[in-house]
Amino acid sequence: MTAASSRNSASRRNAKPLLGAAFWRRLRAMIAWFWLSLVLLFIYAPILVVASASVDPGEYIMNRAFLQFPPKGFTLHWYFNISPSMWLTVFNSLILAACVSAASVLLGVPAALGIMRGSFAGRNFISSVFRFPLQIPFIVVGVAFLQGSYVLAAATGINLTTTLTGLFFAHLLVGIPYVVGATGSTLAQLSPRYDEAALTLGASRWRVFRRVTFPLILPGIFGGALFAFLVSFTDVTIALFLTPQGYETFPVRVFNSIQNDLESSLPAAATIVFVISAAAILILQRVAGMETILRSSGSKK
Amino acid sequence: MRWGLLVVPPLLLTVTLLSGSLFIFLSSSLHEDLGLGLLKEEYSLYNFRQILDYPSYLEGFFLTLRLSFYVCVCTLIITWPLSYILSRLPPKLSMLLVGLVLASTFISLPIKALGLIILFGTDSFAMEFLRITGLVDEDFRFVGSLFGVAVGYTHLAIGFMVMMMFSVMQAIPKSLEEAARIHGASWGRTLLRVILPLSLPGTISATLMLFNLLTGAFVSATLLGGGKILTLPVMIQQSIILFNEYGIAAALAALLLVTVFALNLLSVFAASRLTPTTKVIA
Repeated sequence: MTAASSRNSASRRNAKPLLGAAFWRRLRAMIAWFWLSLVLLFIYAPILVVASASVDPGEYIMNRAFLQFPPKGFTLHWYFNISPSMWLTVFNSLILAACVSAASVLLGVPAALGIMRGSFAGRNFISSVFRFPLQIPFIVVGVAFLQGSYVLAAATGINLTTTLTGLFFAHLLVGIPYVVGATGSTLAQLSPRYDEAALTLGASRWRVFRRVTFPLILPGIFGGALFAFLVSFTDVTIALFLTPQGYETFPVRVFNSIQNDLESSLPAAATIVFVISAAAILILQRVAGMETILRSSGSKK
Repeated sequence: MRWGLLVVPPLLLTVTLLSGSLFIFLSSSLHEDLGLGLLKEEYSLYNFRQILDYPSYLEGFFLTLRLSFYVCVCTLIITWPLSYILSRLPPKLSMLLVGLVLASTFISLPIKALGLIILFGTDSFAMEFLRITGLVDEDFRFVGSLFGVAVGYTHLAIGFMVMMMFSVMQAIPKSLEEAARIHGASWGRTLLRVILPLSLPGTISATLMLFNLLTGAFVSATLLGGGKILTLPVMIQQSIILFNEYGIAAALAALLLVTVFALNLLSVFAASRLTPTTKVIA
């Protein structure tokens, strides 16, 4: 059997193939690039269409903007006619996301340090408690917070849903896990030798943290902060239940607008917001590096 | 210094927020829903019986599972080769492309839905193309169709899946492939006998996580479903916004949570049972 198979492969080697190995390699590379560009085109198609609709002169059918692709002309008119209330929603979203991101860092980084550096029983359990909020579908978080705030208002008179406070806490709940995850995984990869070296050389505990540990885990903190920011900035599902009148966030405005009146300036505003978030990611990729960002995404919803 | 103490404040906050909201909400599933936002005082399983009695609730539940399953299969077909290709590119280029994919996941979902609605408008060339190829008939409307919702879900799924699968593929060293090729395995055989088995554990747990994500997806189902595709999350929102039925909504949410947790347990189990890639290589 061995002889037969070796003879077989020998004859295969001797027979001249019609097309050389180089041809097949090039064909595979071509198919790979084709697949890659096809998928990228697919996932970017919606935002490209929205961007192109933002320069369309546009028309109205029954009080609803008629948006089309490809556009029938070119105008920057809509970019200058985004209503003040729309800008307000973008502003609301930015402030909210910044607060959520900052608070997540303030709470998440100590948590990660405690879990990774502490020596107490049940650390695995506690770290899974921090991951837990991401396992709950956002719709359930939203509805649960809405009801929770009703009960709180009935019991204490403090109503969290008249401002964005309730939404802030709900986003904080899903923001902290990202910071804990990203900082924790960066800490786990950090060799304890650095700390030991600094201690041996006579640095105080605080100085070691301040000058050695902290700078080394900073990329992880940035990665987690970005995720917390973007989760809050793009969320509709939770926000839909917790945004009072006058405090709409931008995604909620888009959501409502699509379901109701469809404003003509919507694509223009959406394009601007996309550019803002793309810039945030780009800046972070420069600061923290892609690997850190990818690692932070490990715990994604 | 006691590092452990640092955990206390964030842990307290997380647990308070979680238990406070979830407990209050889920406990309302055990009070009979009287409509108009009112609940009966005493405990009963009335709401859960309602869900079992009205076929529309169960239909919605199975629709959610079916839809998530189809989208998982489509996403796997798209992203498995893609992640492999990305992991085998030069590091700089692959980081750039993965970054591009990642950036797309941060476009807010209603904006993506808006793009799809415009792209597949009644007179658009995308629809014209679908009609000419005979894939859809004359009076097909993208919004409100299962196809539309599935396309929306796939957009949500691809970015997530690439991020998960890229690290799985990256963990398979190139040297193993080269070894297989040097020993005479063809390219296809290497893919089938080396890459596929080594990536399988990661692929399975990533797919389970994706399925999980999709069962809770709400925005695409609402905007592209146009109120006609009633998945579990859509029904939860409608029972609150439209009908003010907190008890029913809570019972539906409990159903969703149980499904999601069961899948999570399954994925943890799968991850521990199947040998992780790194162990095989070590």
